[in-house]
Amino acid sequence: MDGGFHRLRVAATRAETERATSLVFEVPEGLREAFRWKAGQHVTLRFHLGGEEVRRPYSISAKPEGGRLRVTVKRHESGLVSNHVNDRVAAGDVVEVMPPFGGFYLDPDPRARRTYYFFGAGSGITPVFAMIGSVLGSEPHSVARLAYGNVDAGSVIFREDLTRMEEGSDGRLLVRHVLSSPSRASSPAPWRRGRVDARCVADFINEHPPYAQDTRYYVCGPGGMNAAVRRALLDIDVPDTRIRMESYGPVEPPDDSLAGVAAEATVRLGGATLTVPVAAGQTVLAATRAADETPPFSCESGVCGACRAMLRRGRVHLRARMALTDADISRGAILTCQALPITPRLTVEYD
Amino acid sequence: MADRRGMPILPVEAYTSRAWFDREQERIFSRTWACAGLAEDVAEPGQYVSVQAGLNNIFIVMGRDRRLRAFHNICRHRGTQLLRAVGKTQRAIVCPYHDWTYDLEGRLVSVPDRERQFPGVDLDCVSLKKASVDLWRGMLWVHPDENAGSIMDWFGEVEPHLGPHEVDELAEYPKGRTEHTIEANWKIVVENYIDGYHLAHLHSGTLGMYDHSRIESGFVGPHFAFWEPLAPDYAKDVEKNSPYPLVIPAEQAGAWVPMLFPGIGLAETESTWSLFHVNPISPDRTRVVIRTRVAAVPYRAFARQAARSRRFWARRVSGKFEGHGDDPMASGDFMAEDIYACEQQQRSLRSPYFEHGPSSEGEAGVREHQELVRRWVEG
Ligand SMILES: Cc1cc2nc3c(=O)[nH]c(=O)nc-3n(C[C@H](O)[C@H](O)[C@H](O)COP(=O)(O)OP(=O)(O)OC[C@H]3O[C@@H](n4cnc5c(N)ncnc54)[C@H](O)[C@@H]3O)c2cc1C
Ligand code: FES
Ligand code: FES
Ligand SMILES: [Fe+2]
Repeated sequence: MDGGFHRLRVAATRAETERATSLVFEVPEGLREAFRWKAGQHVTLRFHLGGEEVRRPYSISAKPEGGRLRVTVKRHESGLVSNHVNDRVAAGDVVEVMPPFGGFYLDPDPRARRTYYFFGAGSGITPVFAMIGSVLGSEPHSVARLAYGNVDAGSVIFREDLTRMEEGSDGRLLVRHVLSSPSRASSPAPWRRGRVDARCVADFINEHPPYAQDTRYYVCGPGGMNAAVRRALLDIDVPDTRIRMESYGPVEPPDDSLAGVAAEATVRLGGATLTVPVAAGQTVLAATRAADETPPFSCESGVCGACRAMLRRGRVHLRARMALTDADISRGAILTCQALPITPRLTVEYD
Repeated sequence: MADRRGMPILPVEAYTSRAWFDREQERIFSRTWACAGLAEDVAEPGQYVSVQAGLNNIFIVMGRDRRLRAFHNICRHRGTQLLRAVGKTQRAIVCPYHDWTYDLEGRLVSVPDRERQFPGVDLDCVSLKKASVDLWRGMLWVHPDENAGSIMDWFGEVEPHLGPHEVDELAEYPKGRTEHTIEANWKIVVENYIDGYHLAHLHSGTLGMYDHSRIESGFVGPHFAFWEPLAPDYAKDVEKNSPYPLVIPAEQAGAWVPMLFPGIGLAETESTWSLFHVNPISPDRTRVVIRTRVAAVPYRAFARQAARSRRFWARRVSGKFEGHGDDPMASGDFMAEDIYACEQQQRSLRSPYFEHGPSSEGEAGVREHQELVRRWVEG
């Protein structure tokens, strides 16, 4: 283990679409406990590409109950890691993986009776796919409904798996495809054209109203879609407490209204207390790493929450804060990858 | 009398006294899932129904997210009932007394003349008291306790003993909705429902299409499960002779007639699905509401099926006795026969000479139901 990472062998790869690949990892007996996950959580992969260390979070796309640790990575136009994974990683390779983490998860309860609405787009299906598997397998009284947005039928990840699960679910799973530019011979025909937006959300719920009345709403897609779906749900009086979201990218551009000042930070990390100089404009995370320490982090864009810490003294400006709720912030939580000091002295404590 | 199998388990007062009635309302009907009608009764955002669950009046309303919410139907000011029986509201619920207004989450959103009438009083956290609500087997259910938990904790165990019907895919038959006021205690009505012994006798002319010698029944938790197959001559050609289009595959034809606790009977047969909802009104009066669903097929299919099966039924149904049409025992209507038997029993309870006789194998469910009621009332 190194900085929280473990070297796992890739047991198999599978092309899911022309632009997405799954990696299945072998988890040795001794690491089983550390790599136990909840449906919806993600792992962080680390690579050294062109002399740089890069980390990216990827959701686990398999249900925890009997599933094998698997991620599914979709290419981004000129994206560094996603293309590396699709082009270069093969069965037998060793990849550095940090254990499962994240607050976007679904804990199945065999006695519960719920209606789950899932809204996903593109690679946002990965955690949702694990969640649907958990509900079908471990919550026998509950039903799941998925509205899944993609460009065209060819880019639908897990298309065949979803069809098979729907057909074998005895009515417990309903999948509806939303395609923004379906080809003419699109198969299966989409439920509708367009995007997973406010109209789509309202129509989906009206056409498929909840049966079990304990409803839950899980949303996972690009930041813009997440914000639109949430607004649409609040608009029809869905209580906020029933909505869970995870975004794969920031909703808004970073807030650069404050520049940050040079500061001296007292950082408590793994039982040690260090003094770290932070340059003007540098984040607390960057400064701590520059001091040769190994603080936790993953997405470096304020989305995943891996770099979270508590601010005990001083003040910081958060350029982005997607991964925190208002309640987290009022308790003093910060995302160190987004935190610029605005007072010359700070005390920061990692969990 | 020698062996009465411990009968009676409940004393006569359990069927006649106000004190027993009140205790049942408090200890049974206020602490269990209550049926509030069929799912289609609240099918549009804003629609609501209110229902009595023991001592609690509860309303169910659908929000724009098409989720049902249930609240105790009492204003948080001075307790006035907020909504009457059934209707449609917009996005708010207004108390008729002083116009306090709540949103569909139950939050108090407006109080007339608030600054002057309630200076310094914090009204921000006032909300209607929540109840639990769910849909199950095509019916609306409420529980007075907001934290009642999953309705499957209550019905999960008995569900596999119910019929193979896809209840949600059937359609209500409006003429099948009837209400009967019966001059008898609710438990007499329930005991009659679960008494397998009377079927071949009281209903000798009316329920002969089922084979009462092959009944499988018994309690599963607090609920009574019951199944019997079709009589052989009916089973032989059920597709032709069923009075209405079949609602389950012919190979599975039969009758599932459970009595869910407390007092929610179902009659799930090869061609109909009915709710038989027993509502206690007073110690010696009960209202039974019956709602019926049939196959969701065009009217023509019913006409065709009636024509095909007419000959079979003409020979099949008759009154128990010969007599006038207004004599329940000559009516050829099993409901009229049951009501007659229930009311006669209730009357006899008043006689100083009434004494319980021995109880049969076929009445095991009756004994267990009395035991069940006794435990809930004492517990
Ligand atoms: C919690 C979480 C879970 C996730 N789960 C998954 C998952 O299961 N599957 C999945 O596929 N992804 C997932 N992601 C996204 C993933 O972490 C990466 O963000 C994604 O793979 C892109 O990484 P990359 O290195 O390929 O792209 P990067 O190199 O980081 O580039 C990201 C984007 O920026 C653009 N870009 C790069 N450089 C420039 C430049 N110089 N100028 C302009 N634009 C530029 C790229 O075109 C690309 O669109 C998840 C993200 C989070 C936060
Ligand atoms: S590293 Fe993901 S939020 Fe900071
Ligand atoms: S009792 Fe309802 S407003 Fe006064
Ligand atoms: Fe009867």
